[in-house]
Amino acid sequence: MSTFRRGVIGSVVALGVMAVLVAVMVPLRSHLAVATTALVLVIPVVTGVVVGGLPAGLFAVVAGFLVYDLLFIPPYDTLTVGAAQNWVALAVYVAVMLLVASVVARLEVTRGDAHQREQAIRRLFELTDVLIEDRPLAEVLELIVSTVHDAFRSRSVALMLPVGPRLEIVASAGDPLSESEQRAVIPPPGVPASLGSAGRDGIHTVALSATGRPIGLLRIWSATLSSHDQALLRTFANHMALALERAQLREQALRTELLEEVDRLQRALLRAVSHDLRTPLATIKMSATTLRDRAVELAPDQRSELLELIDDQADRLDRLVANLLDVSRVQAGALELRHEAIALVDVVGEATRGLGHALDGTEVRLDVDDDLPLVDVDHLLIGQVFGNLIGNAARYAPPGTAVTVSARPAGDGVVRVAVSDEGPGVPRSERADVFLLFNRTATGGGTGVGLSIARAFLAAHGQEIWIEDAPGGGASFCFTLPVAEVAEVAETAEVVR
Amino acid sequence: MIRVLAVDDDQALLRALRIGLGALGYEVTVASTGERGVAQAAVEAPDVVVLDLGLPDLDGMEVCRRIRQWSDVPVIVLSADGTEDRKIAALDGGADDYMTKPFGMGELEARLRVALRHRAAEVDGEAAKHVTVGPLELDLVHHEARMDGRLVELTTREFALLAYLARHAGKTCTHRMILEHVWGPHYDTETQYLRVYAYRLRKKLGDEDGSFLRTHPGIGYQLVADRP
Repeated sequence: MSTFRRGVIGSVVALGVMAVLVAVMVPLRSHLAVATTALVLVIPVVTGVVVGGLPAGLFAVVAGFLVYDLLFIPPYDTLTVGAAQNWVALAVYVAVMLLVASVVARLEVTRGDAHQREQAIRRLFELTDVLIEDRPLAEVLELIVSTVHDAFRSRSVALMLPVGPRLEIVASAGDPLSESEQRAVIPPPGVPASLGSAGRDGIHTVALSATGRPIGLLRIWSATLSSHDQALLRTFANHMALALERAQLREQALRTELLEEVDRLQRALLRAVSHDLRTPLATIKMSATTLRDRAVELAPDQRSELLELIDDQADRLDRLVANLLDVSRVQAGALELRHEAIALVDVVGEATRGLGHALDGTEVRLDVDDDLPLVDVDHLLIGQVFGNLIGNAARYAPPGTAVTVSARPAGDGVVRVAVSDEGPGVPRSERADVFLLFNRTATGGGTGVGLSIARAFLAAHGQEIWIEDAPGGGASFCFTLPVAEVAEVAETAEVVR
Repeated sequence: MIRVLAVDDDQALLRALRIGLGALGYEVTVASTGERGVAQAAVEAPDVVVLDLGLPDLDGMEVCRRIRQWSDVPVIVLSADGTEDRKIAALDGGADDYMTKPFGMGELEARLRVALRHRAAEVDGEAAKHVTVGPLELDLVHHEARMDGRLVELTTREFALLAYLARHAGKTCTHRMILEHVWGPHYDTETQYLRVYAYRLRKKLGDEDGSFLRTHPGIGYQLVADRP
């Protein structure tokens, strides 16, 4: 509310009150003492000051003087005063009224100041409360500048923190600062910044320091910052500095935690890869050194078995390397699908042959109806999905058991496939994790590269993979594949069969 | 015939082990899970166990610990991830030796021989008065050490360290094992003592290149029983 408007309202209120009092007193004026009327006429003046400030008060004094003289000091309705004692009454009335108006006005101003200061302190206390909460640094910065801006009614507030070797404005509130202003308020590196109030623009600088360590600088553009406000600001600067330091430490801790997690993953990855690379290498090395040792006598079948082991393990290494390369291809987003309509049994057959001796002691059973529709997939990628899933099942299932591949149409244009083993199964709690790259579950031992590749390749086809309990108690890896268009089925079925 | 029990979850590795060690004259039985490994170690009473640390059901360390509860059969652990902490934990947990995959058959056989001889020496020499390791002779009663017949002056602690390593000749002793036995239970992290004493011992034994008192960085020390 502007001062002028307040003055007008105060004056109108004073006139209103006066009109009422006059209306009551004029019929009785012959019975009232001149001094009594003067006392009553104090009321509109005080009302005017309280409502409208000193200008309204002065206006009420003038109006009161005229009303008093015209209506209550005989002879009535003229400015003539008449008796000398009435002169005294009128003079005393005016003098007292002026004093009352100024005293009440000053009280009002002080009350307003106190109210404003109380507001500022309350805002700052609220700020400290908020600062105690665990908030991100950016939020804390914004909160500080906006609160200081509101609490001290400043034009602008800027908070500077060290970024590298120099200070930079990291948060501001109020009128935006021009670039030249920004340059001007940032102290150059190595030069001590002066604190306190300086300059004709009313720039106030407060240092933020926590436990003796400088945190940053707070600059406030405000023409009306009293010394009391400045003291208040300095006190709260400490709170702000502590809050800032805490927020900074919190961010540091989070960063450190993240780095530790990355480090842990990298170590797990290295360990997993070295395990999977070294296990086939161990067999190759052991077989080769046995074959080379001339002092060792080997039967022909033992010799050929060792050679076969070397061959198989070299293939196993090759598959692992291929999978690792696929991981990088998937991660680089360089996966291009070549769709074709193919029969599932063919893909499974090829994948099984590709695994060779990795399946020793494990029988792969096919449970597929003859009229199963063709699927529309990338032959190579889905072949590898089957290879990885069957190989995985064979590795964890007891020797001599069977791995069953079953497929059924499941509506919605998809075929539901399941690769089931008779192994120990996968606990429910681990089912989401087994598809993670380089995950090694307690029941696993592999790197999890194969399963994560399977999931990535299926995802590239827009399909999902999940784990269920197999009927015999083992694990059942289930996924869907899209059915090829019907027209294509009739045509290509002849070619494939 | 010496009987070896191989515990590993990799079928190919077991087959290579069976043929290779079989051709070298060992009788090899295999187990592909930790549970079966423990059971077979009890039933078959093998002369030595070759144990992979990364088993699907039980941790290799746990297998080693269970076997140690009732047997002091030599255990050689195999590890494929090559991390030091696992090896140390295995040795502290009662394993006699460790090998990182891959390794040649010759190296495995050498380790098997050392483990077997070490065990034999321990069995008949628990209260021995004399210990001989290659060129080193120790008189445990009179605290006398002779290297190639020459008397070596040693302090009490130096002698205790050498005697501990000599009693476990061929076996890699971890820092913790040595510190606990030679210095006492509260010294198990003071590995800098060991570095100083190993340096002094090597000087006094004329083994500056460390080929007799061998350092396994980050793991421990070993007195080499049969230098090439």
